[in-house]
Amino acid sequence: MSDHYLGEFEQIVLLAVLRLGDDAYGVPIRREIEKRCGRKVTVGALYSTLDRLEAKGHLSSWFADPTAERGGRSRRYFRLEPAGVEALGRAKAMFERMWKGVRLA
Amino acid sequence: MAERLLRRLAPGREGEIIAGDLREEFEARGGGRIWYWREVLSCVAVRFSPHRLTAPDLRQDLHYAVRVLRRNPGYALTAMVCLALGIGVNSTVFSMVNELFWQPLPLPHSGRLAIVVRESDGMSCSYRDYLEFRQRAAAPGGRLFSGLVAYDDMRVSIDIGGISHIVGADAVTANFADVLGLKAQLGRWFGPEDDRLGSDPVAVIGDGAWGRLFGRSPDAIGQRVRIGTERYRIIGVAPPRFVGMSPPHMVEVWMPLASQPDMRDLLANPGEWERPLVRMIGRLADGRSTREAEAGMRALDARIRRDFPRDNAPAGAITVDVATGATRPDVRRVAAPMAALLLSVTAVVLLIACVNVANLILSRSAVRRHEMAVRRALGAGPWRLARQTLAEGLVLGAGGVALGLAVGYWSGRLLARSLPGFPHGGMLALRLDPDWRVVAYAATAGLASAVVFTLAPAMDAVRANAGVKRRMRQRDVYVVAQVALSLVLLIAATLLVRALGHALDVDPGFAMAGRLEARLSVWEPEYTAQTGRLYLDRVLAAVRAMPDVRSATIGHNTPLSITDATCAAPDANTRPRRAGLDIVAAGYFDTLGIPVLRGRAFAALDRQGAPQVVVVNETFARRYWPGKDPIGQSVWLGCEVKEPRTVAEVAGVARDAKYSSLDEPPQPFVYRPLAQEWAGFVTLIVHTAGRPERFTAPLRAALSALDPNLRVYEIETLEECAAGSLFQVRWQAALLAVFGGLAMVLAAVGLYGVVAYTVAQQTRELGIRLAIGAQRGDLLWMVLGRGLRLTAAGIAIGLLLSAAATRLLGGLLYGMSPLDPVSFAAASLAWTAVATLASYVPARRAMKVDPVVALRWE
Repeated sequence: MSDHYLGEFEQIVLLAVLRLGDDAYGVPIRREIEKRCGRKVTVGALYSTLDRLEAKGHLSSWFADPTAERGGRSRRYFRLEPAGVEALGRAKAMFERMWKGVRLA
Repeated sequence: MAERLLRRLAPGREGEIIAGDLREEFEARGGGRIWYWREVLSCVAVRFSPHRLTAPDLRQDLHYAVRVLRRNPGYALTAMVCLALGIGVNSTVFSMVNELFWQPLPLPHSGRLAIVVRESDGMSCSYRDYLEFRQRAAAPGGRLFSGLVAYDDMRVSIDIGGISHIVGADAVTANFADVLGLKAQLGRWFGPEDDRLGSDPVAVIGDGAWGRLFGRSPDAIGQRVRIGTERYRIIGVAPPRFVGMSPPHMVEVWMPLASQPDMRDLLANPGEWERPLVRMIGRLADGRSTREAEAGMRALDARIRRDFPRDNAPAGAITVDVATGATRPDVRRVAAPMAALLLSVTAVVLLIACVNVANLILSRSAVRRHEMAVRRALGAGPWRLARQTLAEGLVLGAGGVALGLAVGYWSGRLLARSLPGFPHGGMLALRLDPDWRVVAYAATAGLASAVVFTLAPAMDAVRANAGVKRRMRQRDVYVVAQVALSLVLLIAATLLVRALGHALDVDPGFAMAGRLEARLSVWEPEYTAQTGRLYLDRVLAAVRAMPDVRSATIGHNTPLSITDATCAAPDANTRPRRAGLDIVAAGYFDTLGIPVLRGRAFAALDRQGAPQVVVVNETFARRYWPGKDPIGQSVWLGCEVKEPRTVAEVAGVARDAKYSSLDEPPQPFVYRPLAQEWAGFVTLIVHTAGRPERFTAPLRAALSALDPNLRVYEIETLEECAAGSLFQVRWQAALLAVFGGLAMVLAAVGLYGVVAYTVAQQTRELGIRLAIGAQRGDLLWMVLGRGLRLTAAGIAIGLLLSAAATRLLGGLLYGMSPLDPVSFAAASLAWTAVATLASYVPARRAMKVDPVVALRWE
């Protein structure tokens, strides 16, 4: 069961990766989340979530060539897998069903 | 530096990626060292979060562990029983300590009840101070307490059916039950009218006294009984669990403070600000913390002292603490070292139990080498295998905790029930109810021991090729450690038991055999000094006339409980020094068999109006008049140099004796004649020809025939008195003996296990030895020798440890050396005997090995 539903932060991370498209690696993902959600994300929390999502098959990652601006270190890029897209869709549908006909007074 | 930590934490590519990200952002934000560190630390936090460590397959591990243990019930049960014994004694001792220090009072919202004491002593202020505190601490705006109670604890006599019982009592203000939230289980508590001086004296009794003295009869309400010097009407019975504000001291009678005699003095003397002293307990006002209340009370204290200055204001700052356990600071001070001793002793017992279980697991892991090898071949990593061992340990630990709590509950019951059996134990009550703290402590102990006893076997599983040899050596080390630890406990217990015997052997300086003592109150308002003396003369004459009585006398104090002291000086100008004091009747020295070495004892001629005389002891004579004849010298008695002092002439010198305890050093002591100095609370001492305990009933009858209103308290033989003064050491010796015995049994089981295991492992070798001509006796010695060698090593280490540890017992040994060779030797010998037995059983099995079977076996 737990594999079928995404946690809130997991959804946020997946959406950030989706929005960034080809440019999705650590730094922009963090910036995207901070900009849109207005919340701070530590690098430890981010990578542990990314690792977990990759283990579940929602994401895949690959390593790019090292660049000078990073002190000769490579980037790890992320991309949504079909399973991730499906999970996001399910989460959205679930929320829409729950919101249907509900008005906050 | 931070980067190096990061690399360390996340090796390889992963760390590089994170470091790269951080570097990029570091440049982009233009620095921020703290930010960088915080980010790195966030990785640390994630890495070591319990969620990540326990991993989802812990459940699987536990499931598997339960299955394995269920398949080996003997092994599982042995391990759990060992643990349960260890955890059981720990939880019993802990619940005792819990009750003494942390348990809240059995009252509603007891977390808001705060005890107000002074750091110097428990009595926080005088009654008049209390009234000021109460008024000012309730002032709107600066409200500290929603209610403040003054109380004083004491012992009183309560007379039921012609017998006086001494019970613990509290005199309290009338708001007592309201503030504490107490209900009466029968009748009522005090009302505001009971705070008025001169109102009809009423009392509430405790549940225990209601059962013991009134047979739980509802007719108790309304009865008038004499408590102390007054007749009180009983108006209520307290709820069963409430035994006063400083358990384990049991309070069974509550009276209004206003009914107390010294309160009458207060009425007569409105300027009196120094007495009577009271203790305070209050319910904190809503939203107030103890810290705030404390600060507020200190400010009020300073203001009250300024408003009502006096000479002898109590010193020390006021402290406010939530009322838990024994609230009296003096009780806590006495109990703390004892609690520490017992907790460390039981921790050692648990450690020994853990080593036993570790041994069991090790010998099982030898059997399970095959299983482990298969699992490793199937790809289980070493960490995975170690975790499996840990899971088994946790299951065993949980079982041990559950069983241990049951063991602890029953042994706690036993302990609570045996407590009143001790002399002077009747005023103490331990409930030893297990609460969440006890359960939490037991669970922590179980968890910690699970880690301790699985650590070595788990390491073993991690190390792929730990040989049998290595494992054997490890088990040997365990056994040696067990023997050493249990020997320390055994030696400590032997020392205490011997100290007890030693203390009873100490010559008290007076004769105890055939003597008994009775405490009498010849006090106002029934007796004045004048009528009291006449009455006591009649008592002595009547008792001396009874059959089997050799002699009878009176002293103010009971022998071995003499704590009175005075100041004495050889002349008017020398600074007075403290000396012990007792007030005794004629015949005192004869009856107690204290020889008068020089001069004379008190006689009929030493009466009022005659020259004042004293008898001093040898130490007094030596200190005050070294090298001179003390007879005829004068002694100035009294501590206040400005006030007129009593000058008395030394009539005789008595031999030194023990006065307040058996282990005290010789101290200077003065006896004064009862005819020249009055004391209304006295001890009648009777020397009988027969067994003194048989004389109790006739003596009581004779005394009540003389005056039915005379209050007679406990009647005891002097030997019982002496034993009572040894209560603490007796109590500790009993507990330590139990724990020492338990430790020895556990360690002996461990030793047996190791030797038996060796025999099982060596069956083939033994068979070969037999086949090539070894005698069966040789095999016996081979196995026995191994057990004894281990024991010898353990004893050697244990002796060294004990030499260091027994120093801590110093104060309880009654002058015996903590290195007492007899105790050390006796405990070592006892261990050797047990070890011989524990190794002999498997050795006999070795002797019976059939070489043919042994060789065919593999």
